[in-house]
Amino acid sequence: MKIKGSRSGLQLVFDDTADFPAIEQEIKEKLESGSNFFCRGTIIQTLPGRLQQTEKETLAKLFRQYGVILHTTIEGKSLEESVAAEKPEIQVPMQPTVQEMTVVDRTVRGGQEITSKGSVLICGNVNPGAQIIAGGSIDIRGTCRGIVHAGAYGDTKAFIIADHLMPMQIRIAGLIARSPDNVEKSSRAEKAFIKSGQIVIEPIER
Amino acid sequence: MSEVIVITSGKGGVGKTTTTANLGVGLAMRGKKVVLIDTDTGLRNLDLLLGLENRIMYDLIDVTEGRVLYKKALVRHKKYESLFLLPTSQVRDKMAVNPEQLVKLCEEMREEYDYILIDCPAGIEQGFKTAIAGADCAIVVTMPEISAVRDADKIIGELGRAEKENIKLVVNRIRPQMVKKGDMLDMDDINDILSIKCIGQVPDDEMVVTSTNRGEPVVSNEGSQAGQAYRNIVGRICGEDIPFMEFPEEGFFTKLKRVFGH
Repeated sequence: MKIKGSRSGLQLVFDDTADFPAIEQEIKEKLESGSNFFCRGTIIQTLPGRLQQTEKETLAKLFRQYGVILHTTIEGKSLEESVAAEKPEIQVPMQPTVQEMTVVDRTVRGGQEITSKGSVLICGNVNPGAQIIAGGSIDIRGTCRGIVHAGAYGDTKAFIIADHLMPMQIRIAGLIARSPDNVEKSSRAEKAFIKSGQIVIEPIER
Repeated sequence: MSEVIVITSGKGGVGKTTTTANLGVGLAMRGKKVVLIDTDTGLRNLDLLLGLENRIMYDLIDVTEGRVLYKKALVRHKKYESLFLLPTSQVRDKMAVNPEQLVKLCEEMREEYDYILIDCPAGIEQGFKTAIAGADCAIVVTMPEISAVRDADKIIGELGRAEKENIKLVVNRIRPQMVKKGDMLDMDDINDILSIKCIGQVPDDEMVVTSTNRGEPVVSNEGSQAGQAYRNIVGRICGEDIPFMEFPEEGFFTKLKRVFGH
């Protein structure tokens, strides 16, 4: 069995003589050994006709455990069309703007810096003197007292959420807002985002 | 089971050396075998606080550079038989010791002593890195003041980077009256920012200064509030569950008593 890259994704090609249990075993080993090879959401195609319907379902189930989606391409049609023709139960969002997220499971202390091209999730506080710089949005499950910069590469739709949002500075894309000189601890979670050309903060439910 | 504890703070003047001396004496009062290592090379003070300056023969640098065995450099406390000081050099600087030498020294000392307390210099440079290298756990000393808390936060981050995960907090020089009026950070504010386990709250006490000048740490003074606070910390280090002391309201009569010297 081989896994080939094609223009529209990865393609499974099997030996015609191989029997199904052997194929299944081989795929299972591949998935288990190279868990980094298939990122979640990868779409794998097979050519139709090679597999029985039940065999296909078994494989699809196996792949789904690892977050990979299996499709049968209908010959002569592109992937999108065959996806549409098959109506899979899991709809894959095909947007190109899937961001990666950096998860930080600790308090970010003064002098420390977290930078990410994608979004950032902090499970802890962001202390004064700490900096978070994210290409996407920032979510802080704790108190934010440092400097936070969302949409650092110009994404004006980026936002910042914190349980207690009291940063020294908020930056979103090209805008900067400074905290008032007497900050009071907010009792509710708040969200900062850009609204008509300036940074606004609104309480949110969470 | 011996324990190597580094006492650090980032900022200078918050009471690292005072805390080291008091915890050392406090542990020795409980009969533990204790060594205090001063790593503040060039600016040594720990010997003064213990009143041992005139007994120093050799120092830490002599030991790490192999001129004498560490036992020969140790100074026994005049009052507490199980308390020893390894002073550092007043003429050399912090580059004279490296982390590997201190780790090796601590490993040797572990065989003989229950507690090895390392007095760390201020700052986050070489001296700090050397001091923390051999420690199992750290006590971060801070004061209810934004600059001290900010530096403590930085130090906790640095300790985390050096993979020292067992970090405890001591808040020194609390002035209950000022906290009450809202002029000083209270414990909730400090815990909220630093989020590490607090094992001591020491009130500001004039007796700390007078006892420092006499070379007798305040922990042995039964009548002092700060002394009581240090004894409580010692108890917590030994694994006892002691509630934090209440700072009594300074009423008219206590003030009067103080004036008349009771």
